[in-house]
Amino acid sequence: MSHGRDGPGSGAEAKGSAPDEFESDVLALMPALRRYSRSLARSDSDGEDLLQDCVERVLARRSQWRGVNLRAWAFTIMTNLYRNRHRRQAQHPEVELEEDLAAEETSADPIERRRLERALNRLSVENRSVLMLVVVEGYRYQDVAEMLAIPIGTVMSRLSRARRQLAEAMKEDNVIALRRPK
Amino acid sequence: MTDDFDTVSEDELHAYVDGHLSEPERERIETWLKMHPAEAEEVRQWQAQAAALKQHFAAYARSDASDRQLVIAHSRSTEAPSVAPLLRRAAAALLIFVAGALTGAFAPRFVAPVDPRASTTAVQSLSEQAQSAFLVYASEVRHPVEVGSDQQAHLATWLGKRLDYDLKLPDLSTLGFSLVGGRLVPVNGTAGAMLMYEDATGRRLTVLLGRNPQNRETSFRFASHAGLETFYWIDREIGYAVTGDVARDLLKKIAEECYRQFEGTSAS
Repeated sequence: MSHGRDGPGSGAEAKGSAPDEFESDVLALMPALRRYSRSLARSDSDGEDLLQDCVERVLARRSQWRGVNLRAWAFTIMTNLYRNRHRRQAQHPEVELEEDLAAEETSADPIERRRLERALNRLSVENRSVLMLVVVEGYRYQDVAEMLAIPIGTVMSRLSRARRQLAEAMKEDNVIALRRPK
Repeated sequence: MTDDFDTVSEDELHAYVDGHLSEPERERIETWLKMHPAEAEEVRQWQAQAAALKQHFAAYARSDASDRQLVIAHSRSTEAPSVAPLLRRAAAALLIFVAGALTGAFAPRFVAPVDPRASTTAVQSLSEQAQSAFLVYASEVRHPVEVGSDQQAHLATWLGKRLDYDLKLPDLSTLGFSLVGGRLVPVNGTAGAMLMYEDATGRRLTVLLGRNPQNRETSFRFASHAGLETFYWIDREIGYAVTGDVARDLLKKIAEECYRQFEGTSAS
């Protein structure tokens, strides 16, 4: 099977052999993609599902990649998948919060973490993805506008709404959560 | 400028929080914030939020032992069908060029005033049906359509027969969208057709066609519900609705392109 792009290591190698150049590039992006998928999702398993769908699509569409900024392209694909999926979830907004795989690796208070997650889950799909691309992934506003194919003014208004709604939701959510047993 | 301190916009406050400003700009904002305590408090909240979000998700930025297997397995088993041949793209480009030159002839139709309350029940429900079809099928990752784009001729014949209409599948490649496929859907209680398109990044749109019992014409109309937008129109016995996840300007261009291509069909 041939793979559209020629390059060192691509092409005629057998299954299970070393990754080709494109595959290596995708592998190098996995940590960033995993973080972004989790920042959009409601749970760890949700995040992993989104990540898998995204990787599948990036690889299936490799021949359509224009060769510039694979990271931004993969992030755009992830955002679109997230919006597609979320429409379905919107009919069942309550999803059990699962155990955090990463919880042990962070110093943050688990109550605070849950409070933040709950507040994030109240953001709209559009506002949440802009907030994460800017704050967690460090993209500039112009880059976000290009990635999401929206005017920069829309990026700014979504960012503004996300920040205000998040602050509001954090303020309202004063319910004391049960501390998770260690 | 004497009014420097009154000219800080909210966008600049965001840029300040996100660290996108030069040193002199930062200083200007900081001086301004000292004199505007309410805004300063909000900026402080945003900074705290940003720090919490970064910390919250930082631990997920890691590789996993299964990543390599995931990448290689998908890469070597799910290669997409090839992109459209160059010749077809060139033909499509020529088509849109000619269509562009003819736009003037269609213009009055597209700028007809739209009063949502003037729309008939049938038209109203067409846009609603188009939006529910989009919501149900566009979120399907693996089985969004019944017949894929690899069987275009079969798809057109099959759906055309059920719709009793000489269906030609619009080619939207000049606008960056390729056909995913189509399926049979109920529209106004009878057989209708839904075509799905997708751009290279997975942004989707659908074109819904249904028989129109009233056999009348309408101008271009627009409906928006919960962030999902639809352009629709009725042309004699068929109602059309283009629904998508794309910016309104682009969606309108796509709807106009569909209109031109469908118009070509029914005139023949």
